[in-house]
Amino acid sequence: MTMEDLQPEEFAQAADAAITDALSHQDPRKTAEILAQAGLCGVMAAEADGGLGLDISFALPIVHAAGRLRLPFPLAEQILLAHTLVDTTEGQALASGERIATIAWQGSLNDAWIRVDHGNADWVLVADDNGAVLIDIEGLSREEQPTLDPDHPQTWIATQDARVLARLDSESWPALQRQAHILLAEFANGAAEGALQETANYMATRVQFGRPLSAKQAVRHLLARMRLLQEVSSAAIRRTIHTDEFGQTRDTRPALAGAIANAAFVIEKAIHLHGGMGFTWELPLHRALRAVRKLSAAFDSLAQENGRAYIQSV
Amino acid sequence: MHFDQHVAVPDPSAGPDIYRRHAREWLGKNLPDFMRSDSLNWRAATLAESSEWEAAMYHAGLAGMTWPKAYGGHGLTLREHLAVNKEIGALPMPESVSSIGKELAGPIIMTVGTEAQKQSFLPAILAMREYWCQGFSEPDAGSDLARLRTKAVQEGAHWRINGQKIWTSGAAKAHYCLLLTRTGTVADKHRGLLMFAVPMSTPGIRVVPIKSIDGKESFAEVFFDDVVVPDSARLGSPDEGWSAAIRVLSIERATNRMYRPWRFECELRQLIAACKSDSRLSQVLNDGYVQRRVGDLVAEIDGLKGLVELTVERLSKGESIGARGSLTKLYWSECHQAFASFALSLVSQVGPQSSPLARRAQKAFTQAYLFSRAETIYAGTTEVQLDVIAQRVMNLPKDLA
Repeated sequence: MTMEDLQPEEFAQAADAAITDALSHQDPRKTAEILAQAGLCGVMAAEADGGLGLDISFALPIVHAAGRLRLPFPLAEQILLAHTLVDTTEGQALASGERIATIAWQGSLNDAWIRVDHGNADWVLVADDNGAVLIDIEGLSREEQPTLDPDHPQTWIATQDARVLARLDSESWPALQRQAHILLAEFANGAAEGALQETANYMATRVQFGRPLSAKQAVRHLLARMRLLQEVSSAAIRRTIHTDEFGQTRDTRPALAGAIANAAFVIEKAIHLHGGMGFTWELPLHRALRAVRKLSAAFDSLAQENGRAYIQSV
Repeated sequence: MHFDQHVAVPDPSAGPDIYRRHAREWLGKNLPDFMRSDSLNWRAATLAESSEWEAAMYHAGLAGMTWPKAYGGHGLTLREHLAVNKEIGALPMPESVSSIGKELAGPIIMTVGTEAQKQSFLPAILAMREYWCQGFSEPDAGSDLARLRTKAVQEGAHWRINGQKIWTSGAAKAHYCLLLTRTGTVADKHRGLLMFAVPMSTPGIRVVPIKSIDGKESFAEVFFDDVVVPDSARLGSPDEGWSAAIRVLSIERATNRMYRPWRFECELRQLIAACKSDSRLSQVLNDGYVQRRVGDLVAEIDGLKGLVELTVERLSKGESIGARGSLTKLYWSECHQAFASFALSLVSQVGPQSSPLARRAQKAFTQAYLFSRAETIYAGTTEVQLDVIAQRVMNLPKDLA
């Protein structure tokens, strides 16, 4: 099979195996190494930079698997930065997994602080007046915010004296944001699908009153609503990677806002349907919820911004 | 009314944008101002005006896109059907007065009808010469057609039909009824079901309109008392015809009224434009909650568009879509119903000092709100759609394996 014959769905199988392997190590460096060796970090990076040079449709099943398997690693950001920092040593280091990078969705270089969801990164892309800059966060002041996710806390980082490694201009940064919306939406949707699958399987085997819980109409209808929202997110994300009949690209922001909200609903209901077990630390559904709620926090104002922009467009 | 009817229907193979551009240009040029619900000149179109408008759309290549040319269609694909629906949805135009014929009776006749029936019925539907109504639901058989009682008894070369239908949309204007009957008894449940194309002028048929909460008489009870039709009115044979129709209906549910997400967006734009035209309502648009709600609506509309486009993509590849039509129907009906409530909350502030567009919107969206109560009821209630998703999309077991 050549690269030309490869289909995105087939690539998903390799992603599943590599992510499962990475999860067994619980070490970000080892995770980056395993993911890179499987070609995941460099899936969109140029071949000259050690990547596979594939388009975003191949990255979608990878981040979907990361969400479904609850991978605590900024894979979407790593893939996109390895792709965007073309022909640079930084891009090559990200494609090879030598370094880990993420994106600060809150704060800019002009602010005193930025917040990232993955504090164990080496580098962070931060918005500035002219686009965005990649900074090295080693040695910078930081304050962890472990309330939402104690194992993988949100982290505030002081940007004063940050060392700039690379710059994205005012065209590259919006293009990167657009692709990030798509991949982060798919990550959230993958987290929702994983929670839904586990819950549907549990409901089909958990027997009460002599029948599986999935026989109860109240349970069936709630599961059907969860499936509906997960399908809606899939469909909305899918259409963002295609142009319309006139060749126009589509706004990615509504798909991200919708996917995050839908995923939060699905995972919250998954926890509910598991009863007391759902409320335990042992059942990992809470990890999916924490990951999605960190995205909610990062893009908290997105729905309102979308609405304001839409109103202005009329 | 004058419409540009001598239109060269474009060849869609010339490019993916060709047909959508054609639909956009023709509709924009020809839609009468009084039919636009956002126009200060709006008025309800008469049946004759609606019919003339839809016939003109058909002649312009904007109806019957996927029907074979042999039966009056344009012989195109679902992609052109979708392209046209996007443009139909983008304009605030009236609903079709012949949707039952175009979306239900036509596709079923195409599948189970004889050649003579196809030649007789199908071109007349597209040319707006004949309207159809749907005679499925009965007082004791809504979603559960196993309880159907309307009975058809064969008498030589004829059939004698007795029974009652209800919630029959457009019965008063219909020329034909797509009538579902049973040849045996209720104990036969789903066996022995038989469809007919019954002329509504047949002696023994009585239509009793029902007033709905929006003040209209859009549906009716229809009584069949010793109605005698020739065997040539039969659509397929007992069981076989209905089984084929079920398969058609599962696809139709996913492909009919594809314009809904684009019409939904059109309504949202109409609401915002009306608010902007008014000094008081325009302030409401600065409210953070309202902006967030609009953002949520935009995301919902995007999701709906995605569901519709994915359906077309899968069908175009020859893939099965199973019961996926239930996903689209359920999501659209609930999101649109919630939008109607949101719109009502905004336009309820409209008073004598409000702008003309806001006053027009107050009437349009109050009417839309009342009608939206039906959206989670007709074509399979919310609960039926949830059952279908649980059973046929998710395969959730009711018993232990």
